[in-house]
Amino acid sequence: MTGRARARARGRPPRQVAAVAPVGAAPGRPSQLPDPWQPQQQPVPPTPSEEPGRCGQPRAFESAVQQRRPEGLRVSLGLQELSLGERGGRRRDCHDLGVNTRQAMVHVQESKTGLSGHVIKLTTNHFRLASRPQWALFQYHVDYSPEMESRRVRSALLFQHEEHIGKTHAFDGSILFLPKKLENKITELVSRTRNGDDVKITVTLTNELPPTSPTCLQFYNIIFRRLLKMLNLQQIGRNYYNPCDPVSIPNHRLMVWPGFTSSILQYEESIMLCADVSHKVLRGETVLDFMHSLYSQVGEERFRDTCAKELIGLIVLTRYNNRTYRIDDINWDNNPMGTFRKSDGSEISFLEYYRKQYGIDIADPKQPVLISQTKRNRRNMEGSVVLIPELCSLTGLTDKMRTDFNMMKDLAIHTRLAPEQRQREIGRLLNYIQKDDNVQKELGNWGLSFDYKSVAFTGRVVQREKIFQSGNMFDYHPQFADWTKETRGVPLIHAMPMDNWLLIYTRRNYDVANTLLQSLFKVTPSMGIKMNKPNMIEVDDRTEAYLKVLQQRVTPDTNIVFCVLSSSRKDKYGAIKKYLCTHCPIPSQCVLARTLSKPQTIMTVATKIALQMNCKMGGELWSVEIPLKQVMIVGIDCYHDTVSGKQSVAGFVSSLNQTMTRWFSRCVVQSRGQELVDGIKACLQNALRTWLKWNRSMPSRIFVYRDGVGDGQLNTLVNYEVPQFLDCLKSIGTDYSPRLTVIVVKKRVGARLFAETGGGLKNPPPGTVVDTVVTRPEWYDFFIVSHTVKNGCVTPTHYNVIYDTSQLKPDHLQRLTYKLCHMYYNWSGVIRVPAPCQYAHKLAFLVGQSIHKEPNAMLSDRLYYL
Amino acid sequence: MDKNFQKEEFTEVIKFTPPLYKQRYQFVKDLVEKYKPKKVADLGCADCRLLWMLKFCRCIEVLAGLDTCASVMKEKMHMLSPLPIDYLQPSERSLTVTLHQGSVAHKDPCMLGFDLVTCIELIEHLEESELKKFPEVVFGFMAPSMVVISTPNSEFNPLLPGVTLHRHPDHKFEWTQAQFQSWALETAKCYDYSVEFTGVGHPPTGMENVGFCTQIGVFFRKYPQTGESVQSEKPTEAVYKTVFKAVYPSLKDEKFLQNAVVNEVIFVAQNIKHHLMSKHEEYDDDPERESRFQPSVDYFSDYLRKLVVDQTMEPFVKGNEVYIPLVTIFSFPKVNRLCGTFEKLCKLIAGKVTLSSDGSAVVFNTEYE
Repeated sequence: MTGRARARARGRPPRQVAAVAPVGAAPGRPSQLPDPWQPQQQPVPPTPSEEPGRCGQPRAFESAVQQRRPEGLRVSLGLQELSLGERGGRRRDCHDLGVNTRQAMVHVQESKTGLSGHVIKLTTNHFRLASRPQWALFQYHVDYSPEMESRRVRSALLFQHEEHIGKTHAFDGSILFLPKKLENKITELVSRTRNGDDVKITVTLTNELPPTSPTCLQFYNIIFRRLLKMLNLQQIGRNYYNPCDPVSIPNHRLMVWPGFTSSILQYEESIMLCADVSHKVLRGETVLDFMHSLYSQVGEERFRDTCAKELIGLIVLTRYNNRTYRIDDINWDNNPMGTFRKSDGSEISFLEYYRKQYGIDIADPKQPVLISQTKRNRRNMEGSVVLIPELCSLTGLTDKMRTDFNMMKDLAIHTRLAPEQRQREIGRLLNYIQKDDNVQKELGNWGLSFDYKSVAFTGRVVQREKIFQSGNMFDYHPQFADWTKETRGVPLIHAMPMDNWLLIYTRRNYDVANTLLQSLFKVTPSMGIKMNKPNMIEVDDRTEAYLKVLQQRVTPDTNIVFCVLSSSRKDKYGAIKKYLCTHCPIPSQCVLARTLSKPQTIMTVATKIALQMNCKMGGELWSVEIPLKQVMIVGIDCYHDTVSGKQSVAGFVSSLNQTMTRWFSRCVVQSRGQELVDGIKACLQNALRTWLKWNRSMPSRIFVYRDGVGDGQLNTLVNYEVPQFLDCLKSIGTDYSPRLTVIVVKKRVGARLFAETGGGLKNPPPGTVVDTVVTRPEWYDFFIVSHTVKNGCVTPTHYNVIYDTSQLKPDHLQRLTYKLCHMYYNWSGVIRVPAPCQYAHKLAFLVGQSIHKEPNAMLSDRLYYL
Repeated sequence: MDKNFQKEEFTEVIKFTPPLYKQRYQFVKDLVEKYKPKKVADLGCADCRLLWMLKFCRCIEVLAGLDTCASVMKEKMHMLSPLPIDYLQPSERSLTVTLHQGSVAHKDPCMLGFDLVTCIELIEHLEESELKKFPEVVFGFMAPSMVVISTPNSEFNPLLPGVTLHRHPDHKFEWTQAQFQSWALETAKCYDYSVEFTGVGHPPTGMENVGFCTQIGVFFRKYPQTGESVQSEKPTEAVYKTVFKAVYPSLKDEKFLQNAVVNEVIFVAQNIKHHLMSKHEEYDDDPERESRFQPSVDYFSDYLRKLVVDQTMEPFVKGNEVYIPLVTIFSFPKVNRLCGTFEKLCKLIAGKVTLSSDGSAVVFNTEYE
């Protein structure tokens, strides 16, 4: 993307936006908590008796959905989950409970911990959950005779016998949890309904659950949510927020609510609560306000398009109930005067409905309406809800806001908490819990309690890597994890010449183009890049003009095309990229004129651009020592197109040489509902073939780093994707059986690590590895902190080895993973994930955002997507 | 005999649309819309559904619920909590919702001073002793300007399938129209109220004499309360237990008002600054902006153009600072409405917004653009 170089010139780590995760984490996941005890349970906030607009136009959609996925094509639930674009929504199991992958890996059965590095004292945001000795949860099944339909009636009838059952209970309509055992295994009760009929209720003990059972864990989470509600926190989406103490940022009309995310899970040694600070960004404007200001910015012509781009995928709050909806579409043909059929069959207009139901007068009867698809409604079918923009308030940030440097800076002051602050805020939640009598009573009734001090343990900081560049070896400063300074003026491993290249600019940008050229001439010689004068081409600032020039002037001998763009309009950028990635496969570099306009940064910018162009043409910058031979590393990440919907892209990247300096890439573009598996299989075959060409042999080890796996998709990965990899390898030949390791990479995790240094808390240094205490016993998993952040807390990256025949010691796998975090050429420092994951991400992003189809295979051995 | 005959003749099952309970609530809601009471109490509020409906009525500032059973109130009481949006866009009116656990047979001072007290399907659940005390508590002690009482009409029961004695096993009695009316008239007379009878759930055609399925009495106090003197004699000991209390954010609260004003002032000032500073080439490429969607969208620039006719109100740039006069900002309708007076505006934003040295204009730095 353009503008990146500018950001980098300011020294911003590349994944900084993602580091704000808590802010944007909630959007995209309007889901409710995992539903452990099945059907009708709705642990969610109040609902009005009916959803407006669940009919009329939406019905057309419903049928469309069904058409798209007819019954016969439902391969299996598992496969369906794997298809891209199905993220978000209701999750059965967002902690991937019950997926036990460690048991199949003999070599980590005993121990999955590494040894190398020096010990570091750590604390975390985990708190032990304690229960009384001999504690058990009693699960009962409740039957009614005659059968009662409504959950409310069922509960009301059952709790007529509170003296029998006790005051502490959790009931979802059919399963009853009690902290105590009833006298008999089967208890029969008789209740009387409003109509005076007697109903026989049979309460049967079905299970006595030990504290560690998965059901019990889900139960803890539900109880914990109850507690948060008792503390008067507001539920928005999945998390709870405190509305009483908001931070407002009037410059951007934003409001930030502090809140908490929480989950209770079985960790390595004990059951713990993982609590983290979360911030909800809310906006003081309605969707209609937003549309108005957008209209005045972009005008009629591009209004609808821009609206769709900015709004679709955002989460809104409605003004009349405590629900969040994701905007999936905008219906320009409907408006509040339109009607829908209520559940009783009568037809009513939105205007009328909101006036009658909520006393709300809609001021603008001509506004379009928003469509939100709901995963499930009462009838267990997919449907959609119509929302009125005027009554919806925006939450979260749009992509455009994320690119607003000033806004993000203002936000960061409030949301990016330093380790000390963060731990203090988390402590506050625990304090609330400890101080509140009602909460303590509820916990006591269930026989549970928390350790109010966070878990302390040790991790290891592994040895720093050395950076090699053309016979030179560098150490980098561990605190910054960056070697920009150290490697300045050192020749690259492999510099591509720029004999024949184009520099395209508009008349207005003639000066900046020239300045850039001069700067490039100054910085390239020391890198070893031979550069000729480019073909300087002036164009009109129109997309067609750019394309025409490209068609006329680009030849197969062109090394690279450089475009100076005057605005960040995506269509122009997209058109150029699309042409040069598909029709005419030549690497290209687009830069915003604004980036080049500051004299004080131009040299830094020129240096970065020169490096980036070199990579795009197939050059190599630096390397680290990789002791393993005959290894192919694969990185996979996905991009989900939220705007035009439907399309998802999986990026696939694999190493081509021993030093991991060259990468092969493919991508899979698919529409919604299609399976990812087949595409990836083809990619792997392709990658192996190319590897053979480059190395004249087949790799004996393959490591797959798989990013872009959503919560709850692990099972699918284990059961469908891994077997496909194995199948693919088998198909190569009977005598070929390489060792395969598949590692799931997760950047968004709740765990936070803090280094204890002389009484204070700091971010752990890069290279910190944790494979005890906060990992899961049923997995071969570990955390690595590989990068550094300037402000706030680092998020450790979670690595879960789901398949491994490499026989490599955990120590070696951890080291290899950490080494790979050094190999991302668009950032001369260590990044959060292994380079192949970041490359795959970049590729998928470029294709998903701009190109929308598979790029030309001619480019596949270069990093053209950087 | 006559009734039995009718029942056999009437084969169609009576079904009310919307359901009868909704009609009862709607009746109360309509009444509230008509008389605009500020303080409303619902006795026997059960799952708080009526209270939830009433919280959307903009005239109401105090809502209270009373029920003998705390757990039934607790089940849905969170529906009465403010929504996130209530914090985001605090409303002009103030609203406090309280739930009490207690009986209508007992007096508690928290029930004093209400404009409307509703007893929807309540009295038939009262034991005889409680029913005896009920008029004194509601009409004598609480003495609101209006009381609404609804109760089943037993004459309608034969038309309801499956109803033998009472409609609900907990009903202690169900009255005929005559029984209800005589009780109501006597009560009204005793406490100086007038009463009107009506109901919801129309009887089938041809059987109008049966009356409404639910009979309703609406009581109006005849004389305005004489004020303190009456209340001072009353016992003030609290016997109800407060189960729930929610105070809605409101612009009446200085904290929220200040927040809203500061937000709006900065937003308006930012907008003016943008208009002043930026001539964004990239967005200026469509000269003709015809709008089907919203003709008023560009009101901002129009408005600004109209405003700056007056020289003193013109925002200006000096060095790398932009000055936007407070007078200009104050003339924007939303700011104006929020503050009321210019002095109030100055007072509210003092210390929260960077002002020029004489305090007459908002100052922004132009860097970072």
